[in-house]
Formats: sequence, structure tokens, C-alpha cells
Amino acid sequence: MTQNIQGLDHTATTPTPLPRGHRKVVPVRHYGRMLLAVVVVVIVVGSVIGIANNPNFDWSIVGEFVFSPSILRGLGSTLLITIVSMVVAVILSVIIAVMRMSPSTIISSVAAAYVFIFRGIPLIVLLILVGNLGLFIKDIVIGIPFTDIVFIDTPAARLVTPFVASVLGLSLAGAAYMAEIMRSGLLAIGRGQREAAKALGLNSARTLRYIVLPQALRVIVPPMGNEFIGMLKASAIVSVIAGGDLLTVAQGIAGTNYRTIELLIVATIWYLLVIVIFSIGQHFLEKRTAER
Amino acid sequence: MSATVTGSTMVRIEQLDKSFGPHQVLFDIDLEVAAGETVCLIGPSGSGKSTLLRCINHLEDINYGSITVDDELIGYRLEKGRLHELREKEACSKRVEIGMVFQHFNLFPHMTAVENVSFAPMKVKGEDRASARAYARELLARVGLSGKEDFYPSQLSGGQQQRVAIARALAMRPKLMLFDEPTSALDPELVGEVLAVMKDLALTGGITMIVVTHEMGFAREVGDRVIFMDAGRIVEQGPPEQVLGEPEHERTRAFLSAVLR
Repeated sequence: MTQNIQGLDHTATTPTPLPRGHRKVVPVRHYGRMLLAVVVVVIVVGSVIGIANNPNFDWSIVGEFVFSPSILRGLGSTLLITIVSMVVAVILSVIIAVMRMSPSTIISSVAAAYVFIFRGIPLIVLLILVGNLGLFIKDIVIGIPFTDIVFIDTPAARLVTPFVASVLGLSLAGAAYMAEIMRSGLLAIGRGQREAAKALGLNSARTLRYIVLPQALRVIVPPMGNEFIGMLKASAIVSVIAGGDLLTVAQGIAGTNYRTIELLIVATIWYLLVIVIFSIGQHFLEKRTAER
Repeated sequence: MSATVTGSTMVRIEQLDKSFGPHQVLFDIDLEVAAGETVCLIGPSGSGKSTLLRCINHLEDINYGSITVDDELIGYRLEKGRLHELREKEACSKRVEIGMVFQHFNLFPHMTAVENVSFAPMKVKGEDRASARAYARELLARVGLSGKEDFYPSQLSGGQQQRVAIARALAMRPKLMLFDEPTSALDPELVGEVLAVMKDLALTGGITMIVVTHEMGFAREVGDRVIFMDAGRIVEQGPPEQVLGEPEHERTRAFLSAVLR
């Protein structure tokens, strides 16, 4: 403290200058950090070697099943379930987000309740509920209420196949999360943009289409990519209702040859591979939308 | 000052009241603006001048009274002595004739300068792309931005952005231009280029202009009339030399001495 005060005092004697000459700079050496790095490397290498040489893992089984037709079929339905669920969820989430921002309290409350309920239910519970829809809804009837006009009337069990139940469960839950992402994206566009469009004579549909959405996409795309990865991983949960996905197939094979770990490794390899490929695509998509 | 003030009335505001919730911001405003006239609205912040401007193209709804532009009601329809707010589609078609320039430019950041200017004529008026672009280039040249057509707003200075915004408003060929503190968000050295464009517009355009501004030099030089507002009311109005030079009201004098320092 006293030194600072002296420093402000112009009458104080100037400090003696450092002697001129050799002034090589030596940065601080973080010995603790170096030691930690060595420990981490030892642990990682040890684990990898341990797993690779574990006599209980039969890597030939992994190799045998990685490209087996049934595994590939399972992978195909995992991808199909994920992509269809994603598309349905995106559409649903836009509707929910727009409803959530409605000036009508009733409409926005319904949207808020939707988000609350479907974010609140654990996905596994929701999937089992939807998968067993036939237990508590005997017939699915779509028509105009209070009239005799009916478009569809079938037993629920026939309409809600494991595939339909998987897509329904994943997209209902996914839409609840994505609706909030959509809403934050739409809210991120300032009032000034809407006003400028309004002042030019644009109606609100065109303002949304040409002014708000193109800008909101920049905010929406990165978290939506994460939602897609989350959806892919969550699709493994449909194995509880025998969704025919990658994990269901892998477990099915393991049930016959008792090679549980090897088949889980097969499934893991595929999940990671798809995520890596998707992440690369996501990176380029983000770069594209981030321009301007 | 403008050579083109004609006898007809462009804007007629009668008995206008405006509140935000319980807070009334405009009290019984009566105002007429002649076609071709340039009117400068001055006054302390919170005096209601920006709100009045925004009411004129119905960016704000009103609580009482009426606003007509070129003898057409704005934002409302008169039926059995009551004013019914228009549905969006009808309100939009009336806004086309009124250009607006905002304090913070509000350019569309995902469009280049020429796209910003040609966008509304194409989407709202259905002009074909080639002619909309050609006119946009012409307007950008008029505001001194030739060669900047393909720049995005983020690549332009504040003064350049505001000039693009003026060109964007002009592209709809409005009868009336509203300027909401167009230079308040600019660095001091960029104010002049925007004012020069506005001056050129006032003196040659034959267009009616209402300008909310703190630029007293501009009001004095370009304004046909200066209106001083305070606390939601028009306190006094008249030729610039009178209102700015020999104000009648104490509040006007206090405001001017504060801004002219």
C-alpha cells in the first residue's frame, strides 16, 4: 500500500534502472500439471490395454457382428426412428413455440402445459405408456366430435406398432425441449426488425418467413444439432418396447449367444460412428448459417 | 424552406390521446402537416415526440382521436362514430405510403444493402427483381453509397447504414417520410452525412417529412416548421427562427438553453 502511494508521489526518488544485458525470459514451470498429465496418460493407456487384453472380451465376436445383416437392419431402424422423430418433433415444436408466444392466455397456457408435462415425464415412462397405448385406449377414432362423421376407427394395438410408438414417444418428448429452443431463437430477434418490416408494409407471416426465421436459424441450429444427437441416443431407450432398433437387435442376439458385452460394443461402435459423422455435418451447417 | 409546400394537407391529427397502460403519454394532440412540408419535432426525452411519430404509421395504437394521411384514416376504420382497429392486411396496405427511418437503423442484417432496399418493393408491391434492384441502385447512389450495394450492414459504418435505411424507406415511393431520431445513435463525425441526405430530400424531393430530432442546426436550416413538445403536449410551434430564436414559452427556453449550451 505504502509503495503505491509513494509511486504517485512525483517527488519520490526514481527506482534504480535494471542493469542492461542478458534478459532471457523464463516462463513459470507447472510441475504439478506435468505430473498430472503423466498420471492421466498412465491411467488411460492402462485401461485401454486392460480392456483390449481382457480374456472375457472376445473381439472376434465383435468383428463378426459389426457388419452382420441384422445389426445393420437395427442400425437402419434406429436411424429411421431418429430422423422421423426429429422431423415430427421439429414441426410440433414450431407449433408449440408459436402457441407459447400467442397473446391469448388460453393458447399460451396450453403450450406451456405441454412443455411442462412432456419435459417432466421420464422418457422411458413415456415410451412404455405409448407402447402400451392399446391397454387403455381400445379404439382410435378420429372424426368430428358430436357428429357421426368418422375418418379413422381402428384398434389402437393395430395402429400403434412398436415403430409408431417409438416415433410418438421420442417426438412428443423432443418437441417439448425443441419448443423452448425455437422460442428463444424467435425471441432473440429484436423488436426493431419486426417494426422495420411492419413499417415497410410486410404482414406478420412474411415478416416471420423472410426476416425473423432466417436470423433465428442462426440461434436455433447449434442447439438443434445437439437435440438430434440426443434423439439418436435416446432412441436406444425404445428397446424397452422392442422398437426394433440397434440396441433391441444387439440385445436379441446377445440373448441367444450370451455375448452381451461384445454386442453392446458393436452397438456402441455404431452409435459413436453415426454421431461423429453427424457432428461433422453439424459443423458445416453451423458455419453456413453463421455467415452474416 | 422547401419550394414544394402545396395547399393540401398530408397529415391531420385530431384530439389524439395515447396511453401505455395507466400512463398517458400524449394529450389531446392536434396537428396538421401540409404536403411537401418538413416538420421538426423537438423536445426533451419522454415528451412523447417519438410516440406521436410511431402513431402516425400505426406502429402504436391510439386511445382516442384520429390520424389521417392523405385523407385516409391510418390503422382504423370509421363506423357509426367509432374507430375500429384495422385487421393486419388493411393496416399494411396503408403503411406502404409512409416511409420510416429508425434511430437504430433496423437494417436486415442477413441482406446486403441492395437487398435491403429492393426487398419490400418485390415482396409487398410485387415489383420484378430486375427493376426493383435497378431502382435500389439508383437510390443507393442518391444517398451516396454507389459501390456499397453488395455490402452487408455489418460491413458499413453507422452513417452508411442509416443512409441505406433511408434508401430502403424511399424504395416504397412514400408520400410521407417519418424520421425517428435518425442521428441519435451515430458517432458525432457521422451525423453530417445523414443530415446532408435528409436535407437533400427535403429540398428537392417534394416529399412530406416529419423529423424527430435533437439536431437544432438541421431544424433551423431545413425545417419549415418546428414543434416543441413537452410532457405529451405540443407547447409551441412555428417557423424555426421563431421557435428556436425567440421562444414564447419558458419550457421551450429552458430546453433550448440545455441543448444549445
